[in-house]
Amino acid sequence: MIEPETFKQFKITGKILTDHRYNTSHSGNISMRSGGKILIKRRGAMLGYLEPEDIIETDLYTTDSGIMLSSTETEVHRQIYLNTDAMAVIHAHNPFCVILSLIEDEITCLDAEGIYMYRKIPIIEVENPAGPTDAAREVPKVLKDYPIVVVRAHGVFAKGNTLFDALQNVTGAEQSAMIRYYTMAPGKRLKRDYSTEKYFSEW
Amino acid sequence: MEGMNNKLLNVNLSNEKISVNPLDNEILEGFLGGRGLGIKLFSDNIAKGINPLSEKNLLIFSVGPLTGSTAPTSGRFSLVTKSPLTNTIFHSNSGGYWGPYFKRCGYDCLIISGKFKIENKSYILLDGIDNVEIKDANDLWGLNTLETIEKIAKNEGNSCQILTIGPAGENLVKFASIMNQGHRAFGRGGVGAVMGSKNLKAIVVKSGNKRFPVKDKDHMKKLNVVAIDKIKVVPTTSQGLALLGTAALVKVINFFGMFPTKNFQSAFTGTEKIDSISGERLREKYLVKSEGCYNCIIKCGRMTSIGKMSGKGPEYESLWALGPSLGIYDLKEIVQANYLCNEYGLDTISTGSTIACAMELQQNKIIDNPDMKFGNKKILPEIIEKIALRKGIGNELAEGSLRLSEKYKSLDLAMQVKGLEIPAYDPRGAFGHALNYAVSSRGACHLTGFLVALEILGIPKLIDRFSISGKSDLLMLKQNQSAVEDSLVICKFVGYALGFEFQARFLSTILDRKINITDLITIGERIYTLERLFNLREGFTKEDDALPPRFLKNPLTEGPSKGRLVPLEQMLKNYYKVRQWDENGVPSDELLERLSIKSLV
Repeated sequence: MIEPETFKQFKITGKILTDHRYNTSHSGNISMRSGGKILIKRRGAMLGYLEPEDIIETDLYTTDSGIMLSSTETEVHRQIYLNTDAMAVIHAHNPFCVILSLIEDEITCLDAEGIYMYRKIPIIEVENPAGPTDAAREVPKVLKDYPIVVVRAHGVFAKGNTLFDALQNVTGAEQSAMIRYYTMAPGKRLKRDYSTEKYFSEW
Repeated sequence: MEGMNNKLLNVNLSNEKISVNPLDNEILEGFLGGRGLGIKLFSDNIAKGINPLSEKNLLIFSVGPLTGSTAPTSGRFSLVTKSPLTNTIFHSNSGGYWGPYFKRCGYDCLIISGKFKIENKSYILLDGIDNVEIKDANDLWGLNTLETIEKIAKNEGNSCQILTIGPAGENLVKFASIMNQGHRAFGRGGVGAVMGSKNLKAIVVKSGNKRFPVKDKDHMKKLNVVAIDKIKVVPTTSQGLALLGTAALVKVINFFGMFPTKNFQSAFTGTEKIDSISGERLREKYLVKSEGCYNCIIKCGRMTSIGKMSGKGPEYESLWALGPSLGIYDLKEIVQANYLCNEYGLDTISTGSTIACAMELQQNKIIDNPDMKFGNKKILPEIIEKIALRKGIGNELAEGSLRLSEKYKSLDLAMQVKGLEIPAYDPRGAFGHALNYAVSSRGACHLTGFLVALEILGIPKLIDRFSISGKSDLLMLKQNQSAVEDSLVICKFVGYALGFEFQARFLSTILDRKINITDLITIGERIYTLERLFNLREGFTKEDDALPPRFLKNPLTEGPSKGRLVPLEQMLKNYYKVRQWDENGVPSDELLERLSIKSLV
């Protein structure tokens, strides 16, 4: 059974993602890497109301029987851990990131915190956006260089050193996406577009 | 009905008369096929109180409108009879290719009645369309299932599919199975003994060329694309079952403290021991390849080998019953014991659980057989053989745990309901699942209402396993759905990926008219209610909707289900109410009227 302190991180992270409406009642999944294993949310459990039994342990390197209980996107999490420096991974359905993914090829941050944290947030497209197979192949490639990526029409995968670190990437990216969406909505010219400065586009 | 032949094949073994009759469309509309069709025909044609091992019993094999179609996992077919183990009406279900082959011969249903004379032991051969023969099986009698298949295939060719009994069925072991191509089974309830009592060794089918064209082929194709995409997305079907087979459940069920050991005296095993018998270990040490049934992309079957021995499995339930249930954690011994059960034609759950009962009798010094002790793996091959051949103590065990414990006035030590041994999920760890054991029409069954899906696996969503709120209603829904799945006929594992709406859509496409989920649930309810009526007529009462006292009085002392007892009484009351049954568990007149069925009582 999961240690109380570790469970507390899962519980807080899950609650924030739900309270901020980044997921539906049962969607989204969060995990952390721990001693050659992945601790990951149980399939069918509600992220906002996690209990210790809802955190499942599965092998980091191979598919084991934990797959019978763990999140649908477990394989994406596994490939992120195996191919990047991630210690924790969050998958959420951030509404503004998803909206912008349907009309743009990357999310360019306009707000100061977004520029400081991300500059731009990459968007990728996969054949079957709801399935884990394509995402497991494509998402880790992007997360080698970026803290977060948006899968078009689906949601984000974010990495971090800890669950809270990954959580900041999810919430920060959504904040930047929301600001960009509302800024663009009136169709007016920006007074100053920081994203055109300091080699931003080459990031 | 579209998608069916609308014909039934009657084979009377007593006078060797073979006839073909039309199937009433009204019956097909009301009961679909498979289990539903079998239950209807069986209850219409069987007199009250017959001896299941007499010539008056029937074996009814049926396919459904989805059998042999392009829908995923549509290779299954059903069997209905009266069980010699439980004396209830009994349905069983198997996969492979026999069902589609049979359907292509132009029939939906095979009714076997009567009994061959002892000197005329035979097998039935269906050789394509309109060609049914009875063939001598005297030289096959006494052979095990694999030897029988080899010999028949030599005569009939390798392309045939064979259902056969082994020595256990011939010797009327009350939990003998009918083996399907040697490795799959019509298990539970002793259906193999019914076949043995008829002196019928095998039923062989060579595929006919009958086809069932769907009018809207394009829609069927699209439906399949969406369905297969979903099966590939869900890890349970695309990874768990595909990579590890049903043995993937070993560590999962143990994680929740529901993996019974030593005849349900405990339900939790430590890490080292559980790892040694896990699905992962089975894959690593003995797996040769995965195998699927007709039109299946999940492929949960495990072809395994140990040295020169090879076979299929073990499945999760078999691994448990022949292992931890007996205090045995040697995977090699378990795999070999499973092969033996398949060769003799024995149901693995009841074999293991009856041995476990005997071991607890020995533990409590009620019997005097020092070898019969928990953990004694050496005794396993010998005791399996003795059961199949009814030799020595095997003759007592061949009657099942209920009769064995009755003989020694220790009924509390038999882990059974209505005579059927309880499968590998301790009811103290999942209360909805516990209720299903108590009320299932064929005794303690995990397949008729698998609430473990919701209570443990989170499919479609997770519910509190220790709550009783809403469990009766959910169980009713799942039992009705399950009756439909068994009647279409389709594999239950596909339900882990596809919602019930897919089954309605597949059926609508085959029938070329709209069938919605509610229509299907009503059919399921009709089937389930008719099974209940049959059992009531046979003398079963609400007292039989029970669990062994261990689960009501003795809490588990370790593991994540520690301290729990099943609150059965309260759930049972609610269950009768939601089923529209009276306080004695008898379906109400209003219910029978709504379902358009008549009381059998």
